Amino acid sequence: MMNSMNVPSKRSTLERKLDKLILALFGTLFMMCLIGAIGSGIFINQKYYYLGLDKGVAAEFNPSNRFVVTALTFFTLITLYSTVIPISLYVSIEMIKFIQSTQFINKDLHMYHAETNTPALARTSNLNEELGQVEYIFSDKTGTLTRNLMEFFKCSIGGEVYGSGVTEIEKGAAQRNGIKIQELRKSATAIQEKGFNFDDHRLMRGAWRNEPNSDTCKEFFRCLAICHTVLPEGDESPEKITYQAASPDEAALVTAAKNFGFFFYRRTHTMIHVRESCVEKMGKIQDVAYEILNVLEFNSTRKRQSVVCRYPNGRLVLYCKGADTVIYERLASGNDDLKKVNRAHLEQFGSAGLRTLCLAYRDLSPETYESWNEKFIQAKSSLRGRETKLDEVAELIEKDLILIGSTAIEDKLQEGVPACIETLSRAGIKVWVLTGDQMGTAINIAYACNLINNEMKQFIISSETDAIREVENRGDQVEIACFIKEEVKKQLKKCLEEAQHYLHSAPGPKLTLVIDGKCLMYALDPTLRVMLLNLSLNCTSVVCCRVSPLQKAQVTSMVKKGARKITLSIGDGANDVSMIQAAHIGIGISGLEGMQAVMASDFAIAQFRYLTDLLLVHGRWSYLRICKVIAYFFYKNLTFTLTQFWFTFQTGFSGQRFYDDWFQSLYNVIFTALPVIIVGLFDKDVSASLSKRYPELYKEGIRDAFFKWRVVVTWACFSVYQSLVFYHFAITSSASGKNSSGRMLGQWDISTMAFTCVVITVNLRLLMICNSITRWHYISVGGSILAWFMFIFVYSVLRENVFFVIYVLMSTFYFYLTVLLVPIVALFGDFIYLGIQRWFFPYDYQIVQEIHRHELDDNTSAGSLEVGRQRTAQEEGNPLPREISRHTGFAFDSPGFESFFAAQLGIYAPQKAWDVARRASMKSKPKMPQRN
Amino acid sequence: MEIASGPSTDSSAARTIPIDSSSILDEFKQQNLPACKPVLKPSYVITTFFLLGFIFLPIGLTTLCASRTVVEIVDRYDSECVPGAFRGNKVSFIKDSSLPKNCSRILKVRKHMKAPIYIYYQLDNYYQNHRRYVKSRSDQQLLHGLKSSNTGSCEPEESNNGLPVVPCGLIAWSLFNDTYTLIRGTKKLSINRKNIAWKSDRDRKFGKQVYPHNFQNGTLIGGGKLDPNIPLSDQEDLIVWMRTAAFPSFRKLYGRIEEDLKADDVIVVHLMNNYNTYSFGGKKKLVLSTSSWLGGRNDFLGVAYISVGGSSIILSIVFLLFHIKIPR
Repeated sequence: MMNSMNVPSKRSTLERKLDKLILALFGTLFMMCLIGAIGSGIFINQKYYYLGLDKGVAAEFNPSNRFVVTALTFFTLITLYSTVIPISLYVSIEMIKFIQSTQFINKDLHMYHAETNTPALARTSNLNEELGQVEYIFSDKTGTLTRNLMEFFKCSIGGEVYGSGVTEIEKGAAQRNGIKIQELRKSATAIQEKGFNFDDHRLMRGAWRNEPNSDTCKEFFRCLAICHTVLPEGDESPEKITYQAASPDEAALVTAAKNFGFFFYRRTHTMIHVRESCVEKMGKIQDVAYEILNVLEFNSTRKRQSVVCRYPNGRLVLYCKGADTVIYERLASGNDDLKKVNRAHLEQFGSAGLRTLCLAYRDLSPETYESWNEKFIQAKSSLRGRETKLDEVAELIEKDLILIGSTAIEDKLQEGVPACIETLSRAGIKVWVLTGDQMGTAINIAYACNLINNEMKQFIISSETDAIREVENRGDQVEIACFIKEEVKKQLKKCLEEAQHYLHSAPGPKLTLVIDGKCLMYALDPTLRVMLLNLSLNCTSVVCCRVSPLQKAQVTSMVKKGARKITLSIGDGANDVSMIQAAHIGIGISGLEGMQAVMASDFAIAQFRYLTDLLLVHGRWSYLRICKVIAYFFYKNLTFTLTQFWFTFQTGFSGQRFYDDWFQSLYNVIFTALPVIIVGLFDKDVSASLSKRYPELYKEGIRDAFFKWRVVVTWACFSVYQSLVFYHFAITSSASGKNSSGRMLGQWDISTMAFTCVVITVNLRLLMICNSITRWHYISVGGSILAWFMFIFVYSVLRENVFFVIYVLMSTFYFYLTVLLVPIVALFGDFIYLGIQRWFFPYDYQIVQEIHRHELDDNTSAGSLEVGRQRTAQEEGNPLPREISRHTGFAFDSPGFESFFAAQLGIYAPQKAWDVARRASMKSKPKMPQRN
Repeated sequence: MEIASGPSTDSSAARTIPIDSSSILDEFKQQNLPACKPVLKPSYVITTFFLLGFIFLPIGLTTLCASRTVVEIVDRYDSECVPGAFRGNKVSFIKDSSLPKNCSRILKVRKHMKAPIYIYYQLDNYYQNHRRYVKSRSDQQLLHGLKSSNTGSCEPEESNNGLPVVPCGLIAWSLFNDTYTLIRGTKKLSINRKNIAWKSDRDRKFGKQVYPHNFQNGTLIGGGKLDPNIPLSDQEDLIVWMRTAAFPSFRKLYGRIEEDLKADDVIVVHLMNNYNTYSFGGKKKLVLSTSSWLGGRNDFLGVAYISVGGSSIILSIVFLLFHIKIPR
């Protein structure tokens, strides 16, 4: 399989950074040991006669060979300081992540899709925190952003807009502007059908006859019913019939005609049969057969399709539908008002994310037709350059058209997609759409998803230019490659310069890049890759259309490796597998289109919109928690070990333990283990609903604000400070008698005392990093401290060296005063730091915390995620595009149209590579010819 | 794809699915456990600091007072007690057992000292916490005597002339053996040398039936000798010595004077300067100290409390000013 790649093993970026931290700790360990070892070499001397160094001394203390002493002490010290390496950290993190993924992500009701009974599924547990740092999302279109379901949604007939629906994007815009949109209740006339989501009492059930422009309406419906290449299948009744269409758009249009009372039910080679109701009179039904004389096919250059038909009464009409640009060029002069109004409607549809087509007709006189038909037949039977000739002939008749109106089809997005994308973009995440679809379709979806809007500056790098086409027609592969490469290079350069210009002019417009697969192939060439990367990183959104599965992966790895940003790929089909594997995190949409994507993914969710929860809530929390856990582990082990390190200086660098072996072993296992896991599971800075309400909080993760080296160094500084506090208090306590009996404390008394202080301090420090404290925090922290006391009460009875130390200690006032004082002195610095940091340099989440301090942490209300944020002045204003929009949403997806239709007529037409790709992707088989 | 009617009814629908009805598990999985959210607001910071100061200052003052009531006399005698002729070579003096080691020091009591007055010896630069030293003992042997053969750790003072040593090990071998006699005026002050070790050590760590055996019989004499007729549990000097100190400068209790010393009393100390600290340049000091409920004289704790308390109050005031001047 050409598109398959080796399955990479994924580790989170944070873990890689953790490896570096561990390396740094190893470095620290080495330095500490080296210092101690050198010290021991210098210290050891026969003059300390009480150490018995003059007869038969083991090599490790033999003063006559200081080098050996140094070397051996080095190894002793390694075992002594090995606590600085948080070995249990990995175990704890694994445990935390496992619970996070199996219990939190998999069981989250906000990511549970009730209709398909699919919960979210974390297929790996080691990428949880990576979800909190994603900066680039690569999304497939069909099945991920959209449902691959076209619905007839609105239309404009004779300058009048029909259809009462509100698109997701309009809802989003309204919400942003604080307007409440009342969802109109579906009236009784509304028809629920696949491909038809339209409701207007003025048109339905024959009511159009009462409209002032009923004649135009009739033409409109007839055009829908006749001008298409759909094949009906099944029973010839409106309920049971199914339409086989090359594209779902076509099917939607024919379905619409059916619902308006123009039921297309049979096609023969020359005829189209339509059952028309309520045309002459209300309630009357008649079957009409139209003779199809010519079909002028759709292709991507013509962007239109026409049918010449003869009515039973002999009337000759050319019906034409196509992109507004091509239709408007061919309209008869006059009737400017209608054109203007219709164009306004097209723009309105376009900005609402709908796919538009213009409908027009032309009455033909038999003479005109006959003379034209001759030319047509000639062209059709020509042997060379038939397609070009056909196109030329079509031009002759497709003129002086009369505009009827326009249709608006909704490429049904998955629920909540625009809102989700908007939230994600506010969170600083850039969404790229990588799709196998045509450019027009892709752009349209990008509009519908709010990825592109009319205020944005678009850079379009397309291979569909005249120059390229001309070269392609010559058919010389090498020349084509060279030419396209040059062309792409030129365009990239131009775009990059422009982009730079916009970036420097503040506040410049946001930038988007649209590029198609063929250009991408050359742009991904190592020589151009840097330019492409520079350009695309400056864009807020990028749309890649007509890309192969392998290219999807290439784009993903370009950003992953080139920009060193955290990437996430989301897709549902087999053609997304390589992209899912290439990205840091792969997400599969579980549900409809097979399981390949899910099997290759790291997380599977049922709907695109659950990304909000997955990233902004689970990802952010996980990141925050893991950062805290790591930092805390680092801190507690460093503090503990440093105390030991300072002690080494006072023991003649002999490597004597400050703490008893068991204290040291159990420190990580019992006395400080549980609370940090509790933090790793339960810590929440702000509630889930607030996380989604303030997506900007996510940016802290992208910036890696909680695990920078600066953060680590801060922790390290406090570690040093605290260890010095413990150590200094231990020193001073040895100076004089500790109770009224005048007796002195020994080494183990002091170490037990210091250890008590360390355990208490370190556990209390944990409470200071918590943003939310549940009773489990109290239980675990209290339990850990209690466990230490329980342990020492028993242990000090059993062991000789620490025999009774705790009881001796507890018989002194000194012990209690120290245990009260030392943790507070040790945490004094941290407390001041935290106070000042929150006061003067707060993190974003801290600000949000304080704004919503008095609100109850109510997760259940998060279900009705309301976007009620304050609007900035920039965002206020017209929901409609300010300038005249150039985007009117033409998209007519006809994969393999020519060949499809030709096949119906028994004509062989070679399939084009892209059609094959498209088909392949629809069939979820990532088979694609490599094009070079 | 079938589209369900109406917009998302997701959350309400999801509630009805039978996941886990047990509420605490549910709360756990939905990460909805009740929690308090401490927010370190400026006002909290100020209050905390203020309270801290409020609590710590009195404790500090009390502790400091306690420490200050303690009267302490410290006298360093290691170099003074070497005869002038040996000043240049103190080690040879201390090693020569034929030379008399007695020495006299005169201490002046500056303040009234209330009984009991504790006599300590203080050693500096003495690494009782050296790894080799610390492990060179056998707790089993101390408790069970010759019955215990588990004396491998006692190297190099495990046996002598083929016979085991009790108590074995470097620690016991290097037992401190300077002695002090205190005379006020003409009368000798009695020094109570009982009950100077922790009771737990006496009762449970040193055997009542264990007598010194073959101790300090080697060619090298490290320190003090023990009376072989007294069980280890009553050799309190040894017990004190064997509770090794944590740091190279340490005090150990020598005995107690159970009568008051008045201000301006002059005390003559006759001491036997036996113990060798000259090899490694260690100091020896004699300390007379009274005691408070908190122990000996140690201002550190009090000062620490006061400084923490004081700085908390200052910080709370500084923050308060900030809070008033530039409120958020």
